[in-house]
Amino acid sequence: MFTLLVALLIFSVVNYFISKASWRVGSIINALIGSYLIFQVFTIPKGTEVTIGKFLGETLALQWTNAGFYFSFVSLLVIVAVMFFAIKWLDSQKHPAAFNMFILMVTAGSLGVFMAKDLITLYIFWEIAVLSSMLIIPMGKKESRKAAVVYAVMSAVGTYMFLYGAFMIYSRYGTFSMPEIAKNLANDPSTSFKVAVVLLIAAAGIAKSGIFPLHTWLRIAHGNAPDAFSAVLSGQLVKLGSYVLMISVAVFPSLKIFANLKLYSGVPAPNYFLIALGAASIIIGTLMAIKQDDMKMLIAYSSVANGGYILVGIGTMDPLGFEGGVLHVFNHALAAAVIFMAFASVVYRTHTKKISELGGLIHKMPITYIAYLFAIISLAGIPPMSGFISKWMIYQALVRKGMFITAAIAFFGSIGSFLYVFRPLAGVFLGQLPRKYKDVKEVPPIMWIPMLVLVAISFVMGVWPFPILQPIENMRADFGIAPSFKIADAQNWLVRGFSGSWNPVIVFNLFITGFIVAYILYTLFPKPKKVDLLKPHKEEGAPINIYTSGEFIYTPELYHYNTKFYAGFERMYEKHPSWEKLLYMLAKFFHDVGEWIHGWFFRPSPSAYTFWLAMTILIIFWVRW
Amino acid sequence: MTAVYKAILNLVIAFFFVISLEGIARKITARIQRRIGPPWYQNFIDIFKALSKHPFSNGWIFDFGVLMALGGAIATAAIIPMGSTFWTPFPNTDNFFVIMYLFAVGSLGMAMGMVGSGSPWSAIGVSRALTQMLGYELPYLVVMSSVMYMYKTSSIHLLIEKQATNGWNLYVMPIGAIVAFISLIGMLGKKPFDIAVAPAEIASGPMAELSGKYMGLLQIMHAFSIFVEVGLFVDLFLGGGSLGWFLVKFIVVWVLATLISSVLPRFRIEQMLKFYWGVPLGLAFLNALFVLLGWTF
Amino acid sequence: MKERTMWEQIADSLRSRSLWMLHYCTGCGAMELPPTMTARFDMERFGVAPMATPRQADIMLITGYLNTKTLRRVIYTYEQMADPKYVIGFGSCTINGGIYFDSYSTINRLDYYIPVDVYIAGCMPRPEAILEAFNYLMEKIRKGEADGWKRYKENYEWYKQNQIRSLGEVYVHDEFHE
Ligand code: SF4
Repeated sequence: MFTLLVALLIFSVVNYFISKASWRVGSIINALIGSYLIFQVFTIPKGTEVTIGKFLGETLALQWTNAGFYFSFVSLLVIVAVMFFAIKWLDSQKHPAAFNMFILMVTAGSLGVFMAKDLITLYIFWEIAVLSSMLIIPMGKKESRKAAVVYAVMSAVGTYMFLYGAFMIYSRYGTFSMPEIAKNLANDPSTSFKVAVVLLIAAAGIAKSGIFPLHTWLRIAHGNAPDAFSAVLSGQLVKLGSYVLMISVAVFPSLKIFANLKLYSGVPAPNYFLIALGAASIIIGTLMAIKQDDMKMLIAYSSVANGGYILVGIGTMDPLGFEGGVLHVFNHALAAAVIFMAFASVVYRTHTKKISELGGLIHKMPITYIAYLFAIISLAGIPPMSGFISKWMIYQALVRKGMFITAAIAFFGSIGSFLYVFRPLAGVFLGQLPRKYKDVKEVPPIMWIPMLVLVAISFVMGVWPFPILQPIENMRADFGIAPSFKIADAQNWLVRGFSGSWNPVIVFNLFITGFIVAYILYTLFPKPKKVDLLKPHKEEGAPINIYTSGEFIYTPELYHYNTKFYAGFERMYEKHPSWEKLLYMLAKFFHDVGEWIHGWFFRPSPSAYTFWLAMTILIIFWVRW
Repeated sequence: MTAVYKAILNLVIAFFFVISLEGIARKITARIQRRIGPPWYQNFIDIFKALSKHPFSNGWIFDFGVLMALGGAIATAAIIPMGSTFWTPFPNTDNFFVIMYLFAVGSLGMAMGMVGSGSPWSAIGVSRALTQMLGYELPYLVVMSSVMYMYKTSSIHLLIEKQATNGWNLYVMPIGAIVAFISLIGMLGKKPFDIAVAPAEIASGPMAELSGKYMGLLQIMHAFSIFVEVGLFVDLFLGGGSLGWFLVKFIVVWVLATLISSVLPRFRIEQMLKFYWGVPLGLAFLNALFVLLGWTF
Repeated sequence: MKERTMWEQIADSLRSRSLWMLHYCTGCGAMELPPTMTARFDMERFGVAPMATPRQADIMLITGYLNTKTLRRVIYTYEQMADPKYVIGFGSCTINGGIYFDSYSTINRLDYYIPVDVYIAGCMPRPEAILEAFNYLMEKIRKGEADGWKRYKENYEWYKQNQIRSLGEVYVHDEFHE
């Protein structure tokens, strides 16, 4: 395992030089390596342990667990899809060689995080992933530099808290190894220490998966990163955060650790705190996503909301909630990756990411549209895509626990997701095609095949979810969350909750039957006449042939509704307080204080220096005296 | 195999029963306005006439959207239990959330197809419809959560059985039932909440481009949706009952909703949201609190 | 006239019982529609209901005079309606120009431009007359005689010629539309 990671890191540098010669060869090699890695993760036997070094007298080690396997598999799916996608997409980028190098580093870093057995190894690989992704973000445009800085700062806030927590643990127990820490924490009498440590460890995850107080980087980073890399950011890197959150509540068994801190229906207080943060992210993410005009920022905010879902699910530590949260990692990873790749395709062809400048692309890019459509069905949690299963589980858990307010927020987020995913659907893909895009073409197959493959996986897992549920069940057994209860009942084709079950195959069959019946009805009756929506583009001087209140319209883009799509609703929270603005105000305050100090102490004039020198000497004398 | 027969019966009843009821609703509204009104079978005539016309199609996504809408509605209507465990086609799958989200397939299909027609009126209508959904679903789902929490099951036929011993939910949690009924009116898109399909203002919104059989198919889909929405309310709050009783209760709920809607004007979007997120949502949480404390009748 | 198949007969009798109308309210006739629709005369009892867009509608009501500017819109809208479609011309203005017969900008005979199935004479026809016209149209549809939409298809060239003669060009091009 360790050799694999080191080989990846070394090869990433080698690949830089290969890519310098020909970036296409480099990206093809990348894609092949990625595909090889997917097969590789299945071959490593569970429980393999490798020692990689010593730190403060403690051995650092890698360990291959069920959780690591699941998260690595999901990450690799996303990364490999993006690698294939990049083979063609990279020709719109300025630094393809660097992209090829850093994306391999990101892969190595995140695999390392999922394999790490102790907190320090985790930290090291974490930094590799964060730094290399930070270097990809500003590759696109000038304004992305700031995005990279915000991203790095937010990450740093999280990781330093994490490190602080790790050293607190070390000074008390003398170990970094996670299983040992879990054991020690469970027997520790000091509540405040446990709470502090768990929340400090969770802070890294909060920062990374864009949970409420530290969510502001997502919008900037996702919005400004190179388009295809946003798919990795949102589909995979954010999931590193979910993994750390899972460590802090499940690997450190919070039900046992905080057995005396149970707040409400068996959920410990620190978990409740995390759930509250998750719920806040759902609200903020949903509300902000609804009003975005930039389609990438829209999905970035939706990642905030979905990160909230994952945290809410995992935080309950209910078997269903936990499983739902972890399954949501898979669903959101795939859906967000496909959505971002679809947007990258749109930007690749049209060079804009503003919804208000686009429209009607379905006539030109039907395959991209289909990929986007199925991805949003999954993201909105509608059967028969797999997104529904995780939402169902989370709802079951929340209802069973009687957490009505959190449940109401989760419902709000879920219905809100219909709203925000529909906005790009209607504004970008449906409606009228603006005249300037009348010669746009579908992206080449190497770009749409990865999207369709991910969508197909998500679809198959929605109809037959048991292969993906099995590793999660194993994981749940590892963490000892009601291991005897079986949610995935493959024999009876049922997904079981404590209160009722459902059969994904029946749901799918019903859906197909309904569709066939509808199709039969459809064919029974007279054939329709086709209305050509592109007629104004093809024929000079032909008006559009749809209902226009009897008006003749020759400029289709004027007859397309995509600006302020939810104006009636957006107006209700126009004057909302903004956390982001508050942070910027804080930053500006510190900046100003710095300037002031700078102005006083570092005057670029000799007299000022002499003055301060004299003052210092005087003070020293005064103190001595 | 019996499951399939029961599902077909569901669909047949949904079709004939609900479309007749829609005609009756038109009659009732007419009588309230001191008109004679159309015969009760008027909606059948309307639908079959629409199906017989030579329509226009605005592209493949338009066709696909209509098919998805009808398919989703058929799939959902086939699951709904009709008042008792015996008339439950799929006892393993009649989970409340499954029904709610399967139901969304139809709405999504309709929204997508209609916006795919290229008409901005449709897009405006859909944006209104989605906003309205945000309004009514929230109190409704909170009430439903408290029902499911109280009986510790989310399977609808089990909830019906529990009510048989425990009394109708209408009596057990009257506040919840009222809130659910208010949400039901929004779900049905009836008068104070027919924001999405405002014929005079936005040219009947999503349906602006529907001609001939598309209109007919969507009317059939609408009938199935009504069956799902009202059927769920009857199952969950009026205790279901034998098939006949189920239909009688269905008629009562439907007529009540029609009576209320035929004397009210229409809300604006933000008024609707403020309304739903005000008193009904508050009452829904109050109801949840009562359930938590065990203060139910 | 061709024999209708059984399906067409059934379809025609359904069509006659469910007329969705698009009222193109340009002329004075628009004023007579509200009483026809509401409690006094109640046309919904015949299955006649107002619809919002031409795509959904079966009958188009031309409620009075048409000048060349609105005629363009009428033709455009008529062509957007789904077959079978019927037209009712209200008042003497649509028959022979009525009191505007010598106006420079109004047309005199509607059925030069689009086929009209039923005319209602009068200036302005009363709601009773309108109901009578609906009933007459229903009768015609039931017998399969309301074939304006077929005539429009068969004699499309002739209609187009007339339209272009009066309007110059059916689709307008001016600074507001580019
Ligand atoms: S016929 Fe008489 S009432 Fe009708 S539009 Fe002409 S002038 Fe007006």
